[in-house]
Amino acid sequence: MTLLTAIMVGVIFASSVYLMLGRELKGVCMGVFLLGHGANLAIIATSRSPIGLQPPVLGGHSWQGLVDPLPQALILTAIVIGFAVQAFLLTLLVVSWRRAKTLELNELAVEPAH
Amino acid sequence: MSQHLIVLFVVLPMLAGILSLFAHGRRTLQAFIGLVFLLANCGVAIWALITVCQGHGADAGILVSQMGNWPAPFGITIVVDPLSALMLGVESVVCLAVFIYCISQLSDRFGGGFFQPLYHLLMMGVQWSFITGDLFNLFVAFEIMLMASYAMFVVGTTPQQIRQAYKYVILNLIGSTLFVTCAGLIYGQLGTLNMADITRIAVSGQLPVSSIPVIAMLLLVFGGKTAIFPLWYWLPDTYHTMPAAVGGLFAGLLTKVGAYVMIRVFVMMFGSSQEVSSIVAPLIIVSAIVTMFLGVLGAVSMHSVRRILSIHIISQVGYMLMGIGLGIAAVSGLTPTQTLISREMAVAGAIFFILHNMVVKCCLFLCGGLMIDHAGSDDLEKIGGLLKRAPWLAALFMIAALSLAGLPPLSGFFGKWVLVKESFNQQQYSLTGFAVATSLLTLLSMLKIWSYGFWSPPQGKHVEHPEVRPATAGGLFSVALLVVFALSMGFGAQAYMNVSRYAAQRVLDPRPYIAAVLGEQHSPPHLPAENTVVAAAKLNPLASNGEVRR
Repeated sequence: MTLLTAIMVGVIFASSVYLMLGRELKGVCMGVFLLGHGANLAIIATSRSPIGLQPPVLGGHSWQGLVDPLPQALILTAIVIGFAVQAFLLTLLVVSWRRAKTLELNELAVEPAH
Repeated sequence: MSQHLIVLFVVLPMLAGILSLFAHGRRTLQAFIGLVFLLANCGVAIWALITVCQGHGADAGILVSQMGNWPAPFGITIVVDPLSALMLGVESVVCLAVFIYCISQLSDRFGGGFFQPLYHLLMMGVQWSFITGDLFNLFVAFEIMLMASYAMFVVGTTPQQIRQAYKYVILNLIGSTLFVTCAGLIYGQLGTLNMADITRIAVSGQLPVSSIPVIAMLLLVFGGKTAIFPLWYWLPDTYHTMPAAVGGLFAGLLTKVGAYVMIRVFVMMFGSSQEVSSIVAPLIIVSAIVTMFLGVLGAVSMHSVRRILSIHIISQVGYMLMGIGLGIAAVSGLTPTQTLISREMAVAGAIFFILHNMVVKCCLFLCGGLMIDHAGSDDLEKIGGLLKRAPWLAALFMIAALSLAGLPPLSGFFGKWVLVKESFNQQQYSLTGFAVATSLLTLLSMLKIWSYGFWSPPQGKHVEHPEVRPATAGGLFSVALLVVFALSMGFGAQAYMNVSRYAAQRVLDPRPYIAAVLGEQHSPPHLPAENTVVAAAKLNPLASNGEVRR
């Protein structure tokens, strides 16, 4: 289970790096979003293999057979923050499209060098 | 009981942000709300600094508040120790000064609308990262700070500058993602994210070997935020596109937060772990040399006020790294007691330098802003003759610039003096040489702004630029406030250095911190032999502390 998650994290990180190396802003932003998901998956993997354990909800059973709830709390926070960042980046994309009519990094006007 | 007041460092800016959001569109009302809350914030910061410095007994001057009264490693802890208190004290004054500048000097294009709510939220993030006692909360605080900074970055930008915004936003996002991954992995390795608890594990030598690569990876995260070599490339390209006031705020606060966190993590949390220090310290020292020297060479080659000042941030960060590196590096040729004192002085020097830099760097950016407003351009080829047209500005700029270059008796001198002396004591001669050379080149680049901008006759025919706005009283007042603060750090250097040294002691010997956060029973009975001499070198921080900040 942990091995599978680790491979998935690796694949997600690799694809997001590939996306971010492009020159097209939409792709770059998608790469950043994907990187966040990879990080979340890596964190959830630190709560060890959940096989044979109960969900971390008290009621009925003792706390001993529960999955470690803290990584889940961590990624909940990280997901919320990720949402905000994604919204901001998407807004930025729309604004720069309206202003420059292009999302290619090479075509976005470069400031004259001093 | 009163120690729970430290939560105000987060609550006050948050309230100010929300209230001024509701006052959207009414700039005067927003400014009034902002001033009231910022003054209150300064008051709380001074109270915290005095309380922390007076604490000598069991609490040892560390204010702790457990959110929701959950006991320490399980809940969220906020802590103000001498290091945080010093940072908060100076930061709150700098924020007040920049705010006065912004409300009186910025045009509506930049300063109107949602600028002020963002300003308070940025401050909330900065102060939260100073007081948090938990690695994951540090991530959240960073995100709040960065989110506000992204938005402030794009306010009023031209299409060209949007391109730079992507660079800033995306590089910071990658850094944050790396940080949250590291935090998760550290939790997986150590089973805790509480800083005091992690410190306890490191001090008692129980750090699992597999956690060391993750900890070293944190250097990459904080190095990116602090703009150290080789992670500084985003900074010179982005800071100069902002209005000078925003640039000053970012220059004064954001990279310094990174430096503060590096002290907290690599000196306090993992400084006692040989395994971590032996990896991190050489990296930090090499990076310090390259950072300070390349940064200043860049500044000498630039020809625009804002560009010179922004690339200077990098070179100054090199000095902070130098102190951090000397605080944890392996030392040869000194007795254990000498080593401890030398480390303590190096960290104290780094802390003093961060405080000095917050004030002076910010002040120079504000001066640069006033110069640009006077001349309508920030290209040194086009402006000139400001000495006659704005003599007060010239005087203020000169004091700030000489402080940055480090001429005695101004504040930059004392920070550099301590750092250079300790690098010499620890036989890191290349560090000594580069630090002194960088200092000379700093003076050169500052004189360049001085002679082109102020002293030379106006070049060519002076074109009245449409965006020329003469300096307002508020703008000059805020610069003068920062200059007076910088002067007090120069002439009262002994007092500031004593408090910095007290903070450095608390950072290098984290037992009181652990005891204050986790409770006495968790305090490790003894430190590795070389750390126990700290007690011998105790000095009384109150000796001259009463007058530190009036």
